[in-house]
Parts: sequence; C-alpha cells; structure tokens
Amino acid sequence: MPPALPIALALAIALAAGGRLLLWQQAGVQDTGSVFALLLGESRRAFADQVFLKADAYFHQGYYPSVFDLALPDGKTHMAKETEGHDHDDHSHTPSEREYRDWLERFGSHFYPAEHRHMEKFGDAREILPWLRLSAELDPHRVDTYTVAAYWLRERLNKVNDAEAFLRDGLRANPGSYEILFELGRLYAENNRDVPRARAVLELAIEKWLRQEAGKPNPDELAYGHILAQLAALEERTGNLPQAINHFTRLKRVSPAPDTVQKRIEELQTKLSRP
Amino acid sequence: MNTVWALANVVVLEMVRRKDFYVLFILTVLLTGTAGSVNLFNDRSIVRYLKEICLLLIWVSGLVIAITCTARQIPAEREHRTIFPLLAKPVTRAQFLLGKFLGCWLATGLALALFYLFFGLVSASREHSWPVANYLQAGWLHWMMLGIVIAFTLLGSIVFAAPSSNGTICFVCSAGMLLLGRHLNKVALSLAEPLQSLLYGLYFVLPHLELFDVRDLIIHNWELIPWGVVALATLYAAAYAAFFLFAAWLIFRRRALN
Amino acid sequence: METTLSIENLRVEYRSRDLGESTKVAVRALNLRVGQGEVFGFLGPNGAGKTSTMNVLLGFVPPTSGTARIFGVDVREPIARQRIGYLPEQTYYYKFLTAEELLRFYAGIFQIPKAETEQRIDAVLKLVELDHARKRQIKTYSKGMQQRAGLAQALINNPDLLILDEPTSGLDPIGRMKVREIIQRLKSEGKTVFFSSHELGEVETVCDRVAILHQGELKTEGRVSDLLREHSANLEQIFLNLIGFTSQP
Repeated sequence: MPPALPIALALAIALAAGGRLLLWQQAGVQDTGSVFALLLGESRRAFADQVFLKADAYFHQGYYPSVFDLALPDGKTHMAKETEGHDHDDHSHTPSEREYRDWLERFGSHFYPAEHRHMEKFGDAREILPWLRLSAELDPHRVDTYTVAAYWLRERLNKVNDAEAFLRDGLRANPGSYEILFELGRLYAENNRDVPRARAVLELAIEKWLRQEAGKPNPDELAYGHILAQLAALEERTGNLPQAINHFTRLKRVSPAPDTVQKRIEELQTKLSRP
Repeated sequence: MNTVWALANVVVLEMVRRKDFYVLFILTVLLTGTAGSVNLFNDRSIVRYLKEICLLLIWVSGLVIAITCTARQIPAEREHRTIFPLLAKPVTRAQFLLGKFLGCWLATGLALALFYLFFGLVSASREHSWPVANYLQAGWLHWMMLGIVIAFTLLGSIVFAAPSSNGTICFVCSAGMLLLGRHLNKVALSLAEPLQSLLYGLYFVLPHLELFDVRDLIIHNWELIPWGVVALATLYAAAYAAFFLFAAWLIFRRRALN
Repeated sequence: METTLSIENLRVEYRSRDLGESTKVAVRALNLRVGQGEVFGFLGPNGAGKTSTMNVLLGFVPPTSGTARIFGVDVREPIARQRIGYLPEQTYYYKFLTAEELLRFYAGIFQIPKAETEQRIDAVLKLVELDHARKRQIKTYSKGMQQRAGLAQALINNPDLLILDEPTSGLDPIGRMKVREIIQRLKSEGKTVFFSSHELGEVETVCDRVAILHQGELKTEGRVSDLLREHSANLEQIFLNLIGFTSQP
C-alpha cells in the first residue's frame, strides 16, 4: 500500500467517526464528551479550541490572523466579542492599511482571505454553527461554545427553540454555569417574553455567580454586571420598580460607569415617587 | 513530443486501471455524504462546513494520488525491468522523465476534474449557484501546485530507491510547506541573526505551495482572483516544476542502469 | 559484408559505493564486429561481462573507455537505437496494458504512422502467436506468452538488428522451439541477430558466429563451423575448455 494512503485512510476514518458521533448524539446519547475523551484523551480540549477558532474564522468569511500574525491580548475570539458588543476598532487589517513584509507576502495575499470582513447577509451566521456544535462535542465543558451559539441562533437565525435546547445541553454538562443561565435568561426575557422563567433563571445565575466568584480576588464582574442589568431591565419592563432599583444599586457597585447607573436609579426613583 | 505523449499516455492508462483513485474518490463521496447527512440545528442550508470537508478530502486525495502515482513510476520501471526495453528504444532520458511527469500531471488533472465536479455538485445542491470561474481558478491553481509536487517527487524517486521513503518524504515536505510556508518569514523575523537571514533566505527559495490553496476563498464565496495574478502563479509553478525536472535530469542522465 | 555492430577496445568498470571496495572491471579491451544478416551468439558464464556489453550497446551504461557503434552511430546517441529491437531477459511488461496497447505504445515511440502501426501489430502478433490474446491484459499471460509479447515489442519497428538477452530463458521446450523458429525466420529476412545464451546446443543450431567471453575478456570469436572443426569438439566442450572448467573425476 502506498505510504500516504494510510494517512488518508486514517483521516477519512477520523472524519467518518466524527460524523457518526454527531449522529449518535442526535439519537439521544448525550455524553459524547466521554467518547471523544476515549478517542482523543485530554487533547480534545485543544481540538475544541481550534474548532471554536474555526467558527470565528467563518464569522470573518475565512479571514483569521494566525498565531504567527498576532495574538489577541485578551485571548477572546472576535465572534465572542460580537455577542458582547463587537469592537470594530481593534481591526486594522484591510489590504490598504496592512503592511506587507515582502513581495511574496503581498503576492500571496491574493490567495486567501486577507481582508477583514464579517458575515453580513442575514442567515449567513448559520455557517458557524457546525463548528460550534463540534466544539461542544469535543469539550462539553467549554461554556462559551453554548452561549455564543445560542446568541447567533436566537438573534440572527430566529431559532429560539434550538438555542434553548443547546443551552440546556450546555447546562446539563455545566450545571453551575452562570454564563449559560444568563444566556438562557436573556432568551426567556427577550425572545419568549416569559418573565417568570427569565426572572427565575437570572436569579439562579446571580446565585451561582455569588457562590463561584464572590470570594475570588478578581471576580468576573463583567458577567455579574450583565446579569444584574438584564434583571433590572426585566423588572423595569414589568413595572416592578423597587426591585429594578435594587438590581441597579447592586450593579452600580461593579459597573465601570457608576454615574450612568446612578442616573438610571434616580430616573426610576422619580418614576416611583409619582402618584 | 510524440515519445513524451506516448509515455504520458501509459501513465494515464495506469491510473485509470488501478484502484487507488477510485478508492479515494469513493471515500470522498462517502465522507462528504456522511457529513452532509448530519442534522445541525434543523438547518439544511448550512453548506460551508460541507464545502470545507469536501475540499479537504479533495486536497488530501490530490496529494496522495500525485505523490503515490509519481513515486512508483521509476522504481516500478526498474523493478519490473520495463525501463530496459523502453530505453533501448530511441528515447532520451529527458524524454523519459518528461513523459513520466506529463503522465502523472495529466492523470492527476483528470482526477482533480472529477473531484471538483463532485465538489460543484455538493455546493450547488445547497447554495443553488454554480460559480464556474471560481471553481476553474481553484482547480487550475490546485493542478499547478500538484505539478510542483509531481516534479519534486520525480526528483525524489531518482534520489531515493524506495518509493515508500520517497512518498513519505514528499508528503511531509508538501504538507509542511502548505501549513507553514506562509509564516516562514514571520518566524524568521522572530529569530536572531544569522538564523534570521538563513530562514528568510529559505522562505524565498522554497516553493510556496500554499499560494495555490484558495480553499478559503471558495468556501466563503470571495471574489475571483485577478486573472493576471493567476497567470503569475502559473509561471511560478512552472518555474519550480522545471527546476525540479532539470535537477532530476542532471542526476538521471548519467546514471547507469544495470 | 556491411558492419552492423562494432565494438572497439571497450572497457566497462563499476565503481563500488562501499569504502575500501575496489573498482570492478566487467569488460576489458573487447573488440567485436557483427556483419549484416548474421546471427551472432554471445556466450560466457555468469559474470563474464555479456550483460555489461549489452548494456553499453543499448546505452544503459556508459563505456569507461573504447567505443561501440550500431550502424556506424555511437551507441550514446539515442538515434543509434532507432533500428534495433531488444528483448531483455525476463521482463514483466506493463501488466495493465493489453498486448495490442503495449505494441501501440512502443510504435508511438518509434513514431510509426498510425496505419502502419496497426499493420505491424497484426504482423508481429501473428508471428509470435499472440493474436488470439491481443486484447487481454498482460497480467493474465503465462510466462511463455509474456516472453513472446516481449519478442513482439522487439520486432514492432521492423528492426535491422535484434539484441536478445537469454531469449529462451525460462521457456518450455515448445516455447524455445518457437523462439528458435522466429530467429531463423528473421535471419532469412536478412536481419542481424545478436544474442546471449547459456543454451549452447541452441546456439550451435542457430548461430553463424559466436564469441566466448570470460572474466571480461574475449576468449575466442569465429564461425561456429570453424570452431567445431578447429577444436574437434562440440560447442559445449569448447566453451568449458576456454573458461578453464575441468570436471571432477
């Protein structure tokens, strides 16, 4: 047998096995993480990271700076930032702005996506989903896979039920995740308009956050702030102003813009004092 | 030229009649089909991952076909002793090498045509579009890249006696260049002298196979590459293929056959 | 008589790749001349230098010194091989081709026009009695059939000189007889045949002249009938005497 053929066959079998495992998962076998763990060991987490990056590259229409080009300072993908409010100023890689190191690099830039673009057409975002699903299969404990996928499913693709199901999968694998609970709360609040469930889930998220993060020297205050803001907005929308003020007051302590939050509190207090 | 064509024709016939190509094609079809049958969030219009998997399989298959087909040519001629009646005819060593190169390159081109046709069908089945010019560019550049690989493998088959070692070396070198070629200059810049100059020199000397890999442009429906750039890339490939063939001829022309 | 093949002061050396190994001289100071229309037997025990000489004639190995010419053209020129046919010992032809395709391929190399190619294919396949199997892939052929396919490829260009290396090696008696018949027929057509063989009886039957080589040196050369008369012995006894073989009592 030719030497390269076994390599090809191994790759083929690996891909086939991957495909089968996805089907298996759909058939109801939830803990495929253990199957991947069996096949790949701990390296599956590294694969999951790569697959997650692949989804981000898809979000950028194939454009993605390699590890040799630059490393993002905070280690977050652009796609994940998008879900938190994407900062467009951190890209300066359009061809006109980019400096090529030599003529070969300039010539080579014609043959791969060398321009920073986002998926613009409505529905294009669906293309990132297979990689997020695979990332979750490889490493079910990677929380942002679920939150990012759910965001795109419900925000850009109107697939609220699929988003909820995926978040619930994530919750089963990560029962203590306040990030997934927050995303689930947003879904109930913004898409399903199911206030009691949204409130319950968001309050549970707060509880989980306090249990896991409060004692840490550098707690994830950004996430805490997001949950509180969501809860406060929910209470404000339903007319439960004292409770909204209560959440805003807690938010003020961790917000990077406490003055703005204070202003909102005062507005609500004024509204509350009106007969 | 008739002699070169006659030699090339036999190589093409060999590929058509051997099972390697069919196995790889069927594997590609089966794996792409399996990947396509996966239900992802109940959305049947997701296509890019499928294009990516299909193109990856095509690229792996292309390399396997090109390298294995080329690596066995000269060793098989010697092992089966067919090289003796052949070179006992008015065939120069240069014609022999050119015929083998052309045959392997044409055979690989035929295989690529079929693979890309399949890719087009897979893509069209979900995207309902047929960007022929883009596919032509991708297939053409892929074929040009394999021209360099084939010439390199032919040179290897004269240097290394065993087709298996030659095949493995060529596969590793090609895959290494495809994965790292684009970044060699950046790695060089991170090194101290004299390693920096050495690696940067290598960066310019080594054939940049990754230039011909336009899979990401095809997967994400980017615009066409300017045809002038494609023409330059073709010249680039031709120059490297010619260089490797010339080196092969230099070694082979005086080699005693016994 | 016109000279078809000439060898002058031919020396062939093989340099060993191993350190400390000396250079091996395969052929030394060989002079030979083969005339047009002759059947010439090239004899010698294993390692005598027969194959090395043939390899020089066919351009596979460059001579260390001396010259070899075919039809007056230096054998290093590919054109010297335009009018020759060569049958190597035990060659396995492209198994995936049919006999017809194999012959068409070789005809293409000789740049024989298409119409003539088909006529030549018909003629040589009839001559070697492979007409019935012309559309079968060579991998399905018996050893004898493969050898006959080899003979057919050697004849496709209607050569004026045939170089045959052990043409009957590995064949059964019927196969040998057929090859002998073909050689005789070629001789009657005025072709020159230069062949090596260990089958001395066969050589005695078909050859006009022979040369006996031993340890790279020419021991004798001449007409078969003259050698038999001179030594008052058969070819086998002459051969054994010349190479210094003495049988144990």
